[in-house]
Amino acid sequence: MTDALAAASAEPALLEVEALTRIYEVGGEEVRALDGVSFAIKRGEWVAVVGQSGSGKSTLMNILGCLDTPSGGRYRIRGADVQGLSDDALADLRTREIGFVFQTFQLLPRATALANVELPLVYRGMPRRERRERAEEALVAVGLASRMHHRPNELSGGQRQRVAVARALVGDPSLLLADEPTGNLDTATGEEIMRLFGELHARGHTIVLVTHEPRLAARCPRAIRLSDGRVIADGPGREVATIGVPQVVSA
Amino acid sequence: MRRAARRAFAELFESLRMSFGTLAAHRLRSSLTTLGIVIGVMTVIAIVAIVQGLNQSVAAQVSTFGAHTVYVAKWPFVSLNDDRWKLRNRRNISKLELEAIQRDSKLATAVAPWTFARGTVTREGREAENVQVNGTNAQYMLTGGGTLREGRFLADSDVALARPAVVLGADVADQLFPGSGAGSVIGQTVKLAGRRFDVVGVLDRRGRLLGMVSMDNVVLLPYTTFQRIFGDKRSIAIAVATDPGQMQALEDELTGILRRVRAVAPEKPDDFNLNRQDQFVKVYESLTGALYGVALGVGVITLIVGGIGIMNIMLVSVHERTREIGVRRALGARRRTILMQFLVESSIVAALGGAIGTALGLTVAQLVAMLTPLAATITPSAIALGLGFSGAVGLVFGSWPAWRAANLDPVEALRWE
Repeated sequence: MTDALAAASAEPALLEVEALTRIYEVGGEEVRALDGVSFAIKRGEWVAVVGQSGSGKSTLMNILGCLDTPSGGRYRIRGADVQGLSDDALADLRTREIGFVFQTFQLLPRATALANVELPLVYRGMPRRERRERAEEALVAVGLASRMHHRPNELSGGQRQRVAVARALVGDPSLLLADEPTGNLDTATGEEIMRLFGELHARGHTIVLVTHEPRLAARCPRAIRLSDGRVIADGPGREVATIGVPQVVSA
Repeated sequence: MRRAARRAFAELFESLRMSFGTLAAHRLRSSLTTLGIVIGVMTVIAIVAIVQGLNQSVAAQVSTFGAHTVYVAKWPFVSLNDDRWKLRNRRNISKLELEAIQRDSKLATAVAPWTFARGTVTREGREAENVQVNGTNAQYMLTGGGTLREGRFLADSDVALARPAVVLGADVADQLFPGSGAGSVIGQTVKLAGRRFDVVGVLDRRGRLLGMVSMDNVVLLPYTTFQRIFGDKRSIAIAVATDPGQMQALEDELTGILRRVRAVAPEKPDDFNLNRQDQFVKVYESLTGALYGVALGVGVITLIVGGIGIMNIMLVSVHERTREIGVRRALGARRRTILMQFLVESSIVAALGGAIGTALGLTVAQLVAMLTPLAATITPSAIALGLGFSGAVGLVFGSWPAWRAANLDPVEALRWE
């Protein structure tokens, strides 16, 4: 355990944010969606970002996913600065480093499960045959071997989210970024997806799970709580998940 | 570098696949969208095919006049300006000029007088009305006057002796001697202006000039005989043939001979015209050029209307697929990937419309050619024009919607409901 910790600290952080701010102009007024957020995430961690709606967690997710750029501060992936990169460079960074899982699945409706999973590899310029093989492997890995040629409307919600997870993993990205992945699923199916994340974590994937549910954050080894654009807690999931929750609910 | 090329290829292939998928999913919408393009391209292709067909048949017919022949005449063949009144006091061209050219021209390979009148030719109760009666000599055939179907042409002796010999045009022969076999017409007698003429030959069929004036409703007499019937007061034309490449030299030579014979003072302009068959073609082409212009104008306007239709439907398509665009951007599509995807789609819609329009236009042209005396020529250039134009319309009118798609903010696009 101590050896592992030592090795981990010797390795540079996978993600590093430093004094991150993101300011929106809404009707001539400045809104600070993020206000000086700093933390680092190491390879193989499973971190929940938890907070009420409006706490800035969606903004943080967009910046971590290289979909949006910060107004101030630094963001580094594997030691390389992200801010100041061109739009094309950000697109290339997304296809290499980030795998997205969305609350609403965001599968292309007219494409089969296989074609959906292949899509990120198209944007990497991978040859067709290799693309096909890797997409099949990814679908097998999430337990959908028998559903590869189905379209999203022929799949259940849980199966759709599994396709989305396969699509996120197929390019072997550094980071799996999941935004309320169980939000549109019933409790049992949500539980299935959480177990899938647990397995992926056990296999060494780095996962950031953005959620407003303390129950889910409590299952992650580490959680970061945001409130009004600031980090108010960062620690083991079980502890951070419950901080401040009853008070806010009862208020 | 290879990776970039492969990526571009993979993205293009993906764009094509997606485009056909979208078109298939919205068949009705796609076909309505292309309708404007279909109609525009159809119009242009049909008119271009018909005009080109006319041009070719006219060029073919006019060339039977003789490509290396100068026609000396009192007036120009064709005059678009209203200047004929200025020329009406010109002296006639007569036997004097004919003999001078026959005597002095070194470049001429054949010289034939062409004199014209109208008359009725009869035979045993049959008659051919309003026939063009043409007085000429034995060299008529060498100056582009057609070819013989049977018998012989007028001989020098027919001219010298002003014999009552006649060569019939194909229409006249068919009208006066219906159903007669080859050779049976030769030696028969016909009547013209109350005189009897011996048929010595029949011309091959030549068709209609500009698709209208028959060149077969004609009879040919020795011009000496012609002058006895119709008088020698009318101006004649003189057809002078030469060798290929000698046209300009011949014209210069003829100008010198004619000015001398007609005693034109050095400071005065020519009081005669040297005409060529290609003048007909030029006038004709200037007329069809205007028709071309109108057709292209109509076509361009229709294509613009069609293009606006495409732009409209592409804007709808971009709007509907905002989330898809967001997803693609999140998965690593660059702006230009999205741009290309929508450009490919609008070009395919337009080019499909262009292909259908081309097919319909060619069909219309063929129908016109079958049902009317007009000809239609289908050239690869017309097809290339139709397809190229419509594809370009797709690119031009698709570029704004595609640009909008490419510049969507991925965060906004993903959140779009």
